[in-house]
Amino acid sequence: MALFSAFQTTFLLALLSLKTYQSEVLSEPLSLAPESLEVSIDSARQCLHLQWSVHNLAYHQELKMVFQIEISRIKTSNVIWVENYSTTVKRNQVLRWSWESKLPLECAKHSVRMRGAVDDAQVPELRFWSNWTSWEEVDVQSSLGHDPLFVFPKDKLVEEGSNVTICYVSRSHQNNISCYLEGVRMHGEQLDPNVCVFHLKNVPFVRETGTNIYCKADQGDLIKGIVLFVSKVFEEPKDFSCETRDLKTLNCTWAPGSDAGLLTQLSQSYTLFESFSGKKTLCKHKSWCNWQVSPDSQEMYNFTLTAENYLRKRSVHLLFNLTHRVHPMAPFNVFVKNVSATNATMTWKVHSIGNYSTLLCQIELYGEGKVIQKQNVSVKVNGKHLMKKLEPSTEYAAQVRCANANHFWKWSEWTRRNFTTAEAAPSEAPDVWRNMKSVQGHCVVTLFWKPLSKLQANGKILFYNVVLENLDRPSTLKLLSIPAPANGTELTLDQCSYQIHVTANNSVGTSPASVIAVSGDPGNKEVEEERVKGTEDGFCLSWKPQPGGVTGYVVEWCERPGDPLCDLQWKNLGPNTTSTVVSSDAFRPGVRYNFRIYGISTERIPYLLEKKTGYSQELVPSDNPQVLMSNLTSYSFTLSWKDYAAESQPGFVQGYSLYLKSKAARCLPGSEKAVLSDDSICCKYKIDNPKQKTFVVENLQPASFYEFFLTPYTSVGEGPQGAFTKVTTPDEYSHILIRIILPMIFSILLIMILCYLKSQWMKEKCYPDIPDPYKSSVLSLIKSKENPRLTIMNVKDCIPDAIEVINKQEGTRKSLTETEPTKPTYLYLLPTEKSHSGPGPCICFENFTYNQAASDSVSCGHVPVTPKAQPSQLGLLTSSENGPKALGKNYVNSLGEIPAGETNLNYVSQLASPMCGDKSSLPTNPPEPALCSEYKTQMAIPMGLASPPSITLLDEGEHDH
Amino acid sequence: MQKNTSTLLQTYLQYQGSPFSDPGFSAPELQLSSLPPAAVSFKTWHALDDGERLGHAQGAFLALTQHLQLVGDDQRDLNPGSPILLAQLGAARLRAQGLLGNMAAIMTALGLPIHPEEDTLGVVAFGASAFERKCRGYVVTREYGHWTDRAVRDLALLKAKYPG
Repeated sequence: MALFSAFQTTFLLALLSLKTYQSEVLSEPLSLAPESLEVSIDSARQCLHLQWSVHNLAYHQELKMVFQIEISRIKTSNVIWVENYSTTVKRNQVLRWSWESKLPLECAKHSVRMRGAVDDAQVPELRFWSNWTSWEEVDVQSSLGHDPLFVFPKDKLVEEGSNVTICYVSRSHQNNISCYLEGVRMHGEQLDPNVCVFHLKNVPFVRETGTNIYCKADQGDLIKGIVLFVSKVFEEPKDFSCETRDLKTLNCTWAPGSDAGLLTQLSQSYTLFESFSGKKTLCKHKSWCNWQVSPDSQEMYNFTLTAENYLRKRSVHLLFNLTHRVHPMAPFNVFVKNVSATNATMTWKVHSIGNYSTLLCQIELYGEGKVIQKQNVSVKVNGKHLMKKLEPSTEYAAQVRCANANHFWKWSEWTRRNFTTAEAAPSEAPDVWRNMKSVQGHCVVTLFWKPLSKLQANGKILFYNVVLENLDRPSTLKLLSIPAPANGTELTLDQCSYQIHVTANNSVGTSPASVIAVSGDPGNKEVEEERVKGTEDGFCLSWKPQPGGVTGYVVEWCERPGDPLCDLQWKNLGPNTTSTVVSSDAFRPGVRYNFRIYGISTERIPYLLEKKTGYSQELVPSDNPQVLMSNLTSYSFTLSWKDYAAESQPGFVQGYSLYLKSKAARCLPGSEKAVLSDDSICCKYKIDNPKQKTFVVENLQPASFYEFFLTPYTSVGEGPQGAFTKVTTPDEYSHILIRIILPMIFSILLIMILCYLKSQWMKEKCYPDIPDPYKSSVLSLIKSKENPRLTIMNVKDCIPDAIEVINKQEGTRKSLTETEPTKPTYLYLLPTEKSHSGPGPCICFENFTYNQAASDSVSCGHVPVTPKAQPSQLGLLTSSENGPKALGKNYVNSLGEIPAGETNLNYVSQLASPMCGDKSSLPTNPPEPALCSEYKTQMAIPMGLASPPSITLLDEGEHDH
Repeated sequence: MQKNTSTLLQTYLQYQGSPFSDPGFSAPELQLSSLPPAAVSFKTWHALDDGERLGHAQGAFLALTQHLQLVGDDQRDLNPGSPILLAQLGAARLRAQGLLGNMAAIMTALGLPIHPEEDTLGVVAFGASAFERKCRGYVVTREYGHWTDRAVRDLALLKAKYPG
């Protein structure tokens, strides 16, 4: 057993020694392992820079080697990157390799190790990996400091659309950290308890000043962040092109791509590289660069334009032959020579573009701003071109440009020259017209002509020649020369016929003659005027064709009809024309234009054919007529406006509108309702005949108020709104009454005068004097007959009145009936002897109230007398003062109730005769004395109510005698 | 001046993007070690004597003028297309310098010692990231407002003590 153990030990030792040997043998290639590995970091670029060397190489030995590099994150077992890096290695050469981390290096601890192997065909026996170097740890976190929170990467610059990884490192375990991209919360993954990673994909461009990403703790103000600068994608330059003007300098241009979008962080640079010469230049400008052509006649050029910024590099290429990119300089020494009226020669020189090259030059001739001729000419050095078919006395511009004839690239700039051709004789006869009038037996002809157009004049017109040829005496010619710029002249001729020749002259020659004839007869026969309607385009005039013998027509009009100068215009028309449109900028709306159409005879004599008149645009009448009203009756009135000038209105007056306002709701026949501009309603009469200047408004109401307003109308509308005239129709009967009443008054007056003159007769007939019986002839007759029975009643014969005074005991009240037994006490006012005569002729009457009026009517001298009254006139007058009182009391008290203590007057009347006082009737039958059987007491009314008793008494007195 | 400080802060925040430009943004705990905070308890402030009070303010405005210059430079880099903000920052710096001059005159009049002008920023100013510079600008513009308010109170108290 022990032997077995010893053997085993020996075997193990042998094995160990073998292993040791092997390791020694194998350690030979180990000398080619990477050594002195150093790892540094570039936080801004998130790069790990590795550098190492291989020491055990022979001096001057150079081997191809491959290095395997492993990078782990957080812990060494977590290898995130393995890369084989091949390179040629020299002894003690420092080798470098970089690795860019997607994750900011501050976010996690990284470790790097590497091993090497010879990868060289020279030493195939060494093709095996060396040992790994030890892990080199990169821990940026530990050097961050003591802040509670960090966010990485700082100020990173990326292109729009790229992916970015962000992390935060938190030192505090209590706080929850939230992170936001421009205010929007991001969700990440926890790398370790302190580190959280956010993967941003396809980051957008937000603004030029960068995108804010920040993290903050749930509690407190802890806030940390970064600014992510996102640029727009850097574009390559466009339209890269190069050309030369003088074969010495190349000018290359391009359009830079759109702006990166960041203000300061990204600057662009442009570099031009020519591959054949190997030259390179840094362009100072963003869009162009100059390149000096090498003097060694290099023909081909291959350019590379490189645009570069922090993030990206863009290149464009251009390959060309220099002679194909020639942009010639503008021609020089350009002249226009030998300028005549119709021809001119242009000469010029060009800059040479090589000994054998030809230039193609283009010549353009401009007249009045338009190209009228275009020609191409091949030129070596000197150019020449003849320009033909030019107009005399005309301004032209000629210009020339050139390009490489063999390899067209671009035209040069134009070189321009202006010139004017020489003058020539006028080509056309002036357009002549005339106006004729007869003054004191002479024919005054005013000639008008239109200036020749520039094309016709062929130069500056200096004067016009007018030749008068007397047709009656053909040998007589008269020449007038009228200097330009006159456009007419006035000639006073006798009544003879003349032919007038007018020519225009410039410095070179004379124009053909324009011929017009005048005859003794002005030819202004009476022609009826027709109306013509104008439009915006002018007046369309037409006329009847003249049968034979017409060489043409002329339409004549005035552009300023109201002006004495008139501004005569005319238009020549061919013999086959029977209509034309006359248009002019001078035509104004509301102006009446008169047109005359003349035929031109074969003898060149114009004669009037037709007259037309019209408005280019009719307007509403400018004013309203002054209307006079007449013949006003109860039912009608007449309006007239004879002075109204319808011809001077700015349109043809087609009629008149009469507006009538009345209180009547309905419009009268012949009128219709109309609403005025002030919304008032009235009746409208339409007078269709423009020549009618009176109108009778009929069927009116008498004694009614009317208002009227008359306005003319044209085809456009009515005249201006004016004031209404007020009229009131008279009453229907007033005039009848006047006719009746006046004669009546007259006849009454006549009757009155007649009556006055015949008053005596009238009196006798109507109211004769009442005969006095005492003076009557009857009395004498009676007396003569001695008839004692027939007497005339005398007042004295009447029994006078007596007043009964009744005394009553005070405090007793007795009715009238009760007083009857009481014996009345009679007071006799008048002492009469006849009172005792006993029963006499008397009529007894009973009346409870005594009315003074009754007594008046009777006039018998029955005078009511108060007890105190004296039988005198004065006493009666005095007593009247108590009258109203007594009356009142008597009316208050009933007849049967007489207040106690009062003294009543009972009136006892005893009439001698009932006929007493009746003057109108004669006492034919004297009353018989009758028994006065009964006399009743009468209640007297005090005097105050009665007529003055004095009069009664006087009357009585009168009758007494 | 107080109104201008408020306008400056609003303008500044408006140009910095989220979260600064978010409505109601405020981070009072953000401070700069190089800039003394204006916030002080009323009791402490009141217990200070005139010399201390003016000395604190003068020191703060000395720091503020330098910080406003720094923020102006930062923003010229970060927001070159914002002339309004840059102009307001420049004007604020001039106002702070003016106030500083006035305070120095008052302190001289009262016979108080004046702080010597010193470099409060040091060398750390240039290494800051863009976001840190934005935060720094926020703290400076905010503290500029607070210190202005405090200086107004300081001077009002001084005026009450030395009327006329």
